[in-house]
Amino acid sequence: MSRTSGLLAAAGIDKRFGANSVLRNVSLSLAPGEVHTLMGENGAGKSTLFRILAGIHQPDAGQISLDGAALDLRNPSAAYGHGIYLVPQEPALLKELSVAENMFLGMLPTRGRFPSRIDWKTIRGQAQDALSALGLDVDVRDDAKHLSIAQQQLVECAKALLRGCRIILFDEPTSPLTGREVGILFAIMRRLRGQGCTLGFISHRMEEVSEISDRVSVLRDGAVTDEVGRDGFDRARLVRAMVGREVIFDRRRVRREAQGEPVLSVRGLAHAPVFSGVDFDVRPGEILGFSGLIGSGRTEIAEAVCGLRAKSGGSVMLAGRDISTSSIGDIIEAGLVYVPEDRARHGVILPMSIRDNATAGQIGRLQRKSGILNRGREIAIANDTMHRYQVRARGIDQPAGQLSGGNQQKIVFGKWMSTNPKVAILDEPTRGVDVGAKDEIYRLIEELSAQGMAIVVISSELEELIVLCDRVIAIYGGKIAAELKGADVTAARVGAAFLGAEAH
Amino acid sequence: MNSAATATSEPGHRAKPRPRRRELREVTLLVATFVVVLGVGALRPSFMSFSNIEFMVLSSVVLGLVGISQTFVIITRGIDLSVSAVLGLSAMVFGLLSTTSSMPLWQVLPLCMAMGAVLGCLNGFLVAWLKIPPIIATLGTYSLYGGLTFIYSNGLQVDQVSPDFAAFGNGNLIPFLPVPTPVLALIAVATAAWFVLNHMKFGRNILAIGNNAAAAYNAGISVRRTLLAVYTISGALAAFAGLVFVAYTGSATATTGTGDHVELQSIAIALIGGTAIAGGRGNLAGTVIGSVFLSVVITALVFLQVPAIWYSAGEGLMILAAVTLGARRSSNP
Repeated sequence: MSRTSGLLAAAGIDKRFGANSVLRNVSLSLAPGEVHTLMGENGAGKSTLFRILAGIHQPDAGQISLDGAALDLRNPSAAYGHGIYLVPQEPALLKELSVAENMFLGMLPTRGRFPSRIDWKTIRGQAQDALSALGLDVDVRDDAKHLSIAQQQLVECAKALLRGCRIILFDEPTSPLTGREVGILFAIMRRLRGQGCTLGFISHRMEEVSEISDRVSVLRDGAVTDEVGRDGFDRARLVRAMVGREVIFDRRRVRREAQGEPVLSVRGLAHAPVFSGVDFDVRPGEILGFSGLIGSGRTEIAEAVCGLRAKSGGSVMLAGRDISTSSIGDIIEAGLVYVPEDRARHGVILPMSIRDNATAGQIGRLQRKSGILNRGREIAIANDTMHRYQVRARGIDQPAGQLSGGNQQKIVFGKWMSTNPKVAILDEPTRGVDVGAKDEIYRLIEELSAQGMAIVVISSELEELIVLCDRVIAIYGGKIAAELKGADVTAARVGAAFLGAEAH
Repeated sequence: MNSAATATSEPGHRAKPRPRRRELREVTLLVATFVVVLGVGALRPSFMSFSNIEFMVLSSVVLGLVGISQTFVIITRGIDLSVSAVLGLSAMVFGLLSTTSSMPLWQVLPLCMAMGAVLGCLNGFLVAWLKIPPIIATLGTYSLYGGLTFIYSNGLQVDQVSPDFAAFGNGNLIPFLPVPTPVLALIAVATAAWFVLNHMKFGRNILAIGNNAAAAYNAGISVRRTLLAVYTISGALAAFAGLVFVAYTGSATATTGTGDHVELQSIAIALIGGTAIAGGRGNLAGTVIGSVFLSVVITALVFLQVPAIWYSAGEGLMILAAVTLGARRSSNP
């Protein structure tokens, strides 16, 4: 185990998915015996870069080399052959198979001549030894579905070592882990580093990054914007590299202090251990930002407020009415809507036409007495949505799936706004949307707020929060970690709160 | 995660040794089968006659062979609706050759199985290479292969197979051992299938693909070739089941197999036996016992003088009951 891995270098990597350019001329090198961390906003291309190094995706341009020798990583097996292993964000263990079999997947040893039998004894023995070496004490005969995420990640580590891999890439391993589990993972990462392994790491959490990393590269919009060694760590510098152009922050000059009675009032909302003690108010005409990392509990809080998820305690008042136990239908009727993060899954029905999508939120109101839908009204609403939200499409009968992400999002907006809500919670409203459409969506949000709607914007993009919001609440570890308003809503303050650095 | 889950999920801390859960499904099914046999036997003594028991055993061999191949297909997250049509075509080819040609049994038998393998291979090609969803691909070939039977037989039916051929259905391969040859064949096939699934790479690859085809591919498993092999085997076994059917019933018609919805029966057997419809998990012992159960239930309906128009509905109710009980158990591990 003392053999060191070589220097893994990627040079000039380009990668596009369809029309979407994900990586542009990215170069990165991972030196033996270092923990090299990638940082960057969601969608910056970190996972894609790791997946290219692990042979899952193939770059459109550029070269990957190990100790100067070019590698052809056409599939993951080829990457294993060169000692490179990716521990995926969601561990991909086969749930119905034993832990031992998972570890030897694709390389099950056999004994005897035809029909050669699988050598279960060797498999169990070696699997158990490999796990023990990592300090993981589970029965390798147990089905993988019984393991926790943390245990699955360690099994993935052991899989890498069994394949003789010395370059192990961890794609955001800590986001589903508890603090204690993170400690155990880091102890193992340090041990592997001590044995000469090269480790790649992705994390958003500043304190984790400074604890474990020897080197940090920052990606933004598919390009490397900064690279610093251990001695050069500086929060402000990393945040700046992640977020970029500060000019755009100037767009919003006035942050209003909304007056009047809160239209939505949440008190003591809890669902242990995901979130607890959540109190906040939103007033008419106000845009409230919810910042936080994925896994911070921000989406869960929003879903609980809107009745989409169970809560163990707390009250939600909408315009003076307690809706904490109301059904989803009643909540929408009462004037609270939630526009989810994952458009394709929860927001827009891709194969259906713009007309069907635009009217889906109020189909009940379009029925005539006879139960037959009022087609004329349907067309009128769809046309109105297209016009008001500037949806670029061939016509209202075009399937939503053919539109760009931004235009799909506008339809989802139109669908919910046509119910005339008092409060709208928008989860990642510009995820996967290009810059132009982003601007239009911002304008729409501001317009709706000017008409008196209270809006909550959940976002992990700093820039978005700063451009849009009157007030920002930072969620960290399921709690409200900070509240910023007025002149405090700055890139530095929001960025720090977002990464858990700004305590109450 | 609640606090109990957190306590067992810490990596350094060994979870309480989990008792290896005994799969009780086989036992439950066996008990249910015996209850039906004894109950109906008490009401109608002829149900327990040697000839009826032999009939039920032989018909469960047919179901069992198709059930085993269906189990393999379902483990891969697929489904093979064409098995009944392959069974029927093979039965027709076997029956017509036995009466109209002078080909000996040892030539007709492999010929039919090879034909089944080719038809299964086409299914595999459609699924693995052309990426057609299995339910659609095999629905198409179900009609196609069923139609070939009509074309080949020209609507004729075989009423009597030659004694040589029939001997394969109800003769004893081993002297002094009063076990019909088809039962020995089912035991051999089931044992081989169990060995493949548990002790050979091919079988483990099938399970891996059913659990997560992308992960299996990433681990270097050839997903396409494995799927092709699974559908090919499914075709060959269905053809073999057709031979057994003709040999013990002595007849074949253009709707043999498809008329009884053997494809649905085989799926039901696999599910009753404990194979997961979502793939990744299979229970061959359950499949074999399930085939006995289904054959007993179908025969019992006849003996109880249930009007024939009720057979299909009664069979359906029994399948739903068995699958519902099974589903409740498996959703509650």
